[in-house]
Amino acid sequence: MITHLEKQNTEEELLTILHPHVRTWFHQKFKTFAIPQRFGVMQIHSRNNILISSPTGSGKTLTAFLAILNELIDSADKGILQDKIYCVYVSPLKALNADIEHNLLEPLKEIGAIAGKEFGIRVAVRTGDTTAQEKTKQLKRPPHILITTPESLAIILASIKFSDHLQNTQWCIIDEIHAMAENKRGVHLSLSLERLQRMSPAMTRVGLSATVAPLDDVAQFLVGANRDCKVVDVQFLKQLDLKVISPVPDLINTTHGELHHAMYSLIDKLVQEHKTTLIFTNTRSATERVVHYLKEKFPKHYNDINIGAHHGSLSKDHRTELEGNLRQGKLKCVVCSTSLELGIDIGYIDLVLLLGSPKSVARALQRIGRSGHQLHATTKGRIIVMDRDDLVECSVLLKSAMEKKIDRIHIPTNCLDVLVQHIHGLALEEKIHIDDLYALVKQSYCYKDISRKDFMEIVEYLAGKFISLEDRHVYAKIWYDETTGMIGRKGKMSRVIHMSNIGTIPDQSGVIVKEGEKKIGMVDEGFLERLKPRDIFVLGGNTYRFKFSRGMVAQVDRCYETPPTVPSWVSEMLPLSFDLAMDIGKFRRLMTEKLEAKKSKEEILEFIRSYLYVDENATNAVYEYFKEQYDYVGEIPSDQRILIEHTEDEDGRKYIVFHTLFGRRVNDCLSRAVAFAIARMQHKDVEMGISDNGFYLVSHGKLQPMQALKALKPAELNKVMGLALDQTEVLRRRFRHCANRALMILRSYMGHTKRVGRQQVSSMILMNAVKRISPDFCILREARREVLEDLMDIENTTLVLNLIAQGKMKIAEVHTKIPSPFAFDLVLQGHLDIMKIEDKVEFLRRMHQNVLAKIGLGKK
Amino acid sequence: MNRISLAINVTAIDLALLVRDTLIISDIHIGYEDALQSRGVLIPIFQLQDTIKRLETILKETKPKIVVINGDLKHEFGRISSQEWRDTLKLLDMILQYTEKIIIVKGNHDPILGPIARKRGIEIVKEYKINNVLIAHGDAEPALDKENKDVKVIIIGHEHPAIIIQDKVRRERFKCFLVGKYKRRMLIAQPSFFLLTEGSDVLKEKLLSPLLQRDLGNFDVYVVEDKIYPFGKIKNLR
Repeated sequence: MITHLEKQNTEEELLTILHPHVRTWFHQKFKTFAIPQRFGVMQIHSRNNILISSPTGSGKTLTAFLAILNELIDSADKGILQDKIYCVYVSPLKALNADIEHNLLEPLKEIGAIAGKEFGIRVAVRTGDTTAQEKTKQLKRPPHILITTPESLAIILASIKFSDHLQNTQWCIIDEIHAMAENKRGVHLSLSLERLQRMSPAMTRVGLSATVAPLDDVAQFLVGANRDCKVVDVQFLKQLDLKVISPVPDLINTTHGELHHAMYSLIDKLVQEHKTTLIFTNTRSATERVVHYLKEKFPKHYNDINIGAHHGSLSKDHRTELEGNLRQGKLKCVVCSTSLELGIDIGYIDLVLLLGSPKSVARALQRIGRSGHQLHATTKGRIIVMDRDDLVECSVLLKSAMEKKIDRIHIPTNCLDVLVQHIHGLALEEKIHIDDLYALVKQSYCYKDISRKDFMEIVEYLAGKFISLEDRHVYAKIWYDETTGMIGRKGKMSRVIHMSNIGTIPDQSGVIVKEGEKKIGMVDEGFLERLKPRDIFVLGGNTYRFKFSRGMVAQVDRCYETPPTVPSWVSEMLPLSFDLAMDIGKFRRLMTEKLEAKKSKEEILEFIRSYLYVDENATNAVYEYFKEQYDYVGEIPSDQRILIEHTEDEDGRKYIVFHTLFGRRVNDCLSRAVAFAIARMQHKDVEMGISDNGFYLVSHGKLQPMQALKALKPAELNKVMGLALDQTEVLRRRFRHCANRALMILRSYMGHTKRVGRQQVSSMILMNAVKRISPDFCILREARREVLEDLMDIENTTLVLNLIAQGKMKIAEVHTKIPSPFAFDLVLQGHLDIMKIEDKVEFLRRMHQNVLAKIGLGKK
Repeated sequence: MNRISLAINVTAIDLALLVRDTLIISDIHIGYEDALQSRGVLIPIFQLQDTIKRLETILKETKPKIVVINGDLKHEFGRISSQEWRDTLKLLDMILQYTEKIIIVKGNHDPILGPIARKRGIEIVKEYKINNVLIAHGDAEPALDKENKDVKVIIIGHEHPAIIIQDKVRRERFKCFLVGKYKRRMLIAQPSFFLLTEGSDVLKEKLLSPLLQRDLGNFDVYVVEDKIYPFGKIKNLR
């Protein structure tokens, strides 16, 4: 059961449980207990599982460790401290691990000084960077507190000797759990925790989280199915000072150049008014661009010493140095993509700037929470918007943030590829009966509903049952005895393969882009397929001309001041959350009601002022945007109304724009389902573009979008999407990732590591081979599940279809000569894809007829 | 199966060429999947089975006296694994059921085919001539003097030619023959019999063969799918 704690412990209650030395130390360091500590310390002392959600700098880490340090000191003082691991601390970031080690060693030293003796409590960090020498040391004399990452935890669970030290671990702390619960790293961790719990039945779990929702689900994720957990929710301890600002009074009648000039002036003004500013840009290339421009435009304000960029492509040394400078207060301004979202200590920040929408309320609060590091300090955040869609989106986001409405995260479930790694790992530990194995797996929140059939399929996959007996030795990674129901490890290489190949973060793969011998970056195979020589495209913020390719390498030339000729290669961008999207839809609906009731401009402006937290410029801009749309087509799409708009672009290409403001994860799914229905009705390929606010379709035939949308039955969506995904690049890409995780494509094998030849095998070959086993092969099925449930959002897509079927979501259809204001950006920016329905041979025959016709005409 | 005449006495049938009673195929790359496996890509293997099936259909229909394998019978440069050894023999034995003689034109991928070939009494040559038709792998320029002076048609493999056919929305890649000119002779580049991928897109990929470096735009494209489709000159497809 999940219980929310309402009552804090008193200072006296907490002091009584502390060892005298620890008590003295605490009094020397702090005036009093912080709020999370008043809720949490006693629970951890009493061995209750607990999830603590509170902002950075609120004393969260000490909440987790105080009771544990206290108990270790107490045992050491009594001389009963054993040479074993008492506490395992897991965080997603190596940088955070170093921080934590430091933050534990210091108090231990200080308490030792108070006591006048060494307690001999050891703390050690174990990550992929830990040296062999260090590992040997840890094996001989285990640390009492082990600091690690999810990947390294999985490795030590399967190592013969070290795992002995993990028996009867008392506590496991999961830090930044919100950043792991929503992806496969978290799923992987959830099973590692079950394996650790199996060795340590009495282990208490402690989760630390920034702003996240729903807390109950995250708590259950922390402790596993059917276990109890207490929840401390002090997410909103800090005062919020948030504003959405537009660099110019009028976002529509301003040129691109003017807008950018105004934006940089605004950034400079804000940075200069504060001591230290942290800027989030969403992308790596934008991070570099912002630093570059600020230095160029304001050379007196910014130089190499006081401004810096921080993102994942930069070297570890560069990042560590920058983080250090930031802590020491040497920097005026740091610009990052998303990399400083998580809680490493970055010192004093008094302003956070967000360039462009953070796309979810939780993310906005996590980012803005990086400022005002002391408790009770006000956190100050400003979101700078550059277009009117962004303005409306960020304004509603701000409202939700102020009103403490946090969008819900999606926790992936039943991931078969991750399951492969753990069954393999468990088989390495010892022989185990499949019934016990199944029960263990079902203890994880992420696998609580996994069917016996799916589970058995993975066991059989690992045992190589999909291959005829004679060739099985190459594929089998475990043995499974059907008569006794036992499984165990197979092959001498099994442990080495496991240790060097586990983890869930996929290897980068795809086409390498090179300028001469210099590697520029990577693009998808599908993107290369679309390129023609002399095409110009953007990669990593720069422009390149495509020359030629060979195999999986594309050669390009850098070009300057030439506009791109193909839409830029956008790999998966941050999607707008569904909850926030629906809130924007609700605001649109309220605005429509006002416009339909013919309210005066002043009345509507007053409504905007009272509903949103925006300044006068923004109020006017929002009003104008809605008024234009309403006057132009008389229809405004909302959370209860889909608008289908038939329109044309400047070149006379006919578009059908679906105004479906549900976020990209739903639109990705919905658009493909509709495109598939249409493609099948008229037996022609359909081109499509997708954004957070809707999608469009283009086809040569006469389209009947209303019928197609209504023909989609919620119950059949899964089946339709299975067919619709079959030929797509996204499925191939995700399949490669899943095959990687399922140990079907090994990163390291028989002494070969990262061989270029292997990296470059086309995803097409891999998928074709696996389809031959069965179109429903478990790893292929997992790739489909990942695309539909994790990348896209089939659950909420079904919800939308249900609303349509029940008549709660109305559909209107309009025709326009030029795209309506709401459709404009969509047509311009939608990410492209195509729904193939025509058979490859049919397509060839049609193209051949065209060629024949041309030759025929030429002859006449 | 439809046949298309590419030159006097040279007919294309599926991925093969027929010159009188000699059938020519190229670039089978046996052992590609084994090479993948040895690097940790543990995908199931279908290559040999698929190759045999497609080739057998052609052999049944054409009943050639001689089969010329125009280079790159096997994939790996280095040592031959026992699996590759078995697979290669299996394929050669299948061919020998339908024909009297196999000749292997040496490619860049098979420097050590000798032992396998000897086992079945197969001749390995640098190039092979049928009247005025010269068959060479295509990784190097053949000498065209002396006994090759009379050559009118050159047939090469090596390139794995393919083409991306596209309209406004759709793009698909197909194997193809290329037919054009090289040093005033007719040049035919044949598609690979490697069935896992279509090959290199001649519209944008850098071509490997020194014979295919000039005037590519004027080469004719013959797409191979269920039938062979003439698609005109490369320059009109760009």
